[in-house]
Amino acid sequence: MDLSLAIFVQIIAAVLLIIALMVGNAVVMVYMERKVAGFIQRRPGPYEVGPWGTLQAVCDSMKLLAKQLYRPGNVDLILYYLAPITAFFPVLLLFLAIPFGPWLTPLPVNDGIVLILAFAGLGVLSNLLAGWASNNKYSLLGAARAVSQTVAYEIPMILALLAVVLQSGSMDLKRITDQQGQWPWEWNIVLQPLAFFIYLVSLVGETNRAPFDLPEAESELTAGFHTEYSGMGFALFFLSEYANMLLVSFVAAVFFLGGYKGPFADGFWWLFLKAYAVMFFMVWIRWTFPRVRFDQLLNINWKWLLPLGLINLWLTAIIVKIAL
Amino acid sequence: MLQAIWDNIKGLYSLLVGMSITGRYLLSPVETIHYPRQVVADEIMASFRGPIQLTKGKKDPAQTRCISCQMCVKACPGHCLSVTKGDTKAPAQWLYDFSYCCLCGACVETCPTGALEFSHKVYLVTLTREELILDLLADLQKRAAILPESQPVPTANLAPPTVPDVESIGEPK
Repeated sequence: MDLSLAIFVQIIAAVLLIIALMVGNAVVMVYMERKVAGFIQRRPGPYEVGPWGTLQAVCDSMKLLAKQLYRPGNVDLILYYLAPITAFFPVLLLFLAIPFGPWLTPLPVNDGIVLILAFAGLGVLSNLLAGWASNNKYSLLGAARAVSQTVAYEIPMILALLAVVLQSGSMDLKRITDQQGQWPWEWNIVLQPLAFFIYLVSLVGETNRAPFDLPEAESELTAGFHTEYSGMGFALFFLSEYANMLLVSFVAAVFFLGGYKGPFADGFWWLFLKAYAVMFFMVWIRWTFPRVRFDQLLNINWKWLLPLGLINLWLTAIIVKIAL
Repeated sequence: MLQAIWDNIKGLYSLLVGMSITGRYLLSPVETIHYPRQVVADEIMASFRGPIQLTKGKKDPAQTRCISCQMCVKACPGHCLSVTKGDTKAPAQWLYDFSYCCLCGACVETCPTGALEFSHKVYLVTLTREELILDLLADLQKRAAILPESQPVPTANLAPPTVPDVESIGEPK
């Protein structure tokens, strides 16, 4: 891949669009989260601001923009301000490799999934920096939990994705999409149901969402690693958290649900529909299940997801070897 | 080992059961009331135990049954009642500081004449603390004035009661 001017311009344009997508996604997700939470608890959710409360999330983000940046004493200054930025910027890169449509990949790379997994690991670093630099026991505990949880859940996630990679013989997200058909029974979820299940569980753990939201468990750690952040510092963490959710949903859609392919007409609308279906599932389980204990969390990972992922990968390898 | 696997499969099934419950709730209609635009029906309010009020008199609704015996004042754990006896047994002033009231109902229980009851007022809002000191005699007379049409509207709302039950018993002067 040569870095000509055209590709440079393409990447700049893509990054701008991705920033717009991240902010828009956060607004949509806050509204969806609150509405779904409301309906599950038999109450209406936000309904005062705008029609059906649709402007509530916009008002909330305006409030966050206008808030004072309050910094507690004795923080590690550089790391304290570096952490939200480290949380935000890697996510921009991650979306570059996603094939949004047949001719709509921001940056066509051969090993898209390697890029995604490598830079997704940086998210943990930002949590760790934030927890360490805040000089707060809750933040530090949250950071410690975030690191051990995210590092643990990355492994079954990678194993589940590797099974699909072995099966399709490529790490290129575009090629993986192209190998799947338009109709649901032609998608990888039919061939790799166990991998999809493992991926689904570990994406909840990877994005630190309930029932695996131990790094920011409100009832135990006030807000975990971002306790001491206010205003836009908090907003950047918030944005990157929702962007990470969107990213893992995109990867789930590409790897298991046929990506941009769908009945009647291929296009980015199918990818977004599938990704938001996965996001809706994440919201749904958040408002259904209570938070697990930390030992339970790691037991699920090391005792069940990891062996299952290994068995699945091994079986896939054998079947691929025999079939080809 | 097999037992553990079986337990986990059963656990997964229980997760599905939980998700089906929340999924059903997600699709069923909302149960809450949009307060400023809708209000709860009066039948439901009948079971609400709000701030206390004086019971309407048996003969004259504007006439309290209170005999100023101070039982409620002694029973109140928050010291929020103050009953001033008038010339007769009927109270001259009946003040109730709702900001101290814990709605325990001890006054209602102890009242020998049944002069106190819980009201069904849900929407009591004030801007200052002083406004929460309620004059229950004035409140009783206000409520007696808006009686349903079937009952005779009392003529002597504001005048002191003429022939109350308690006066015949009398207190030695």
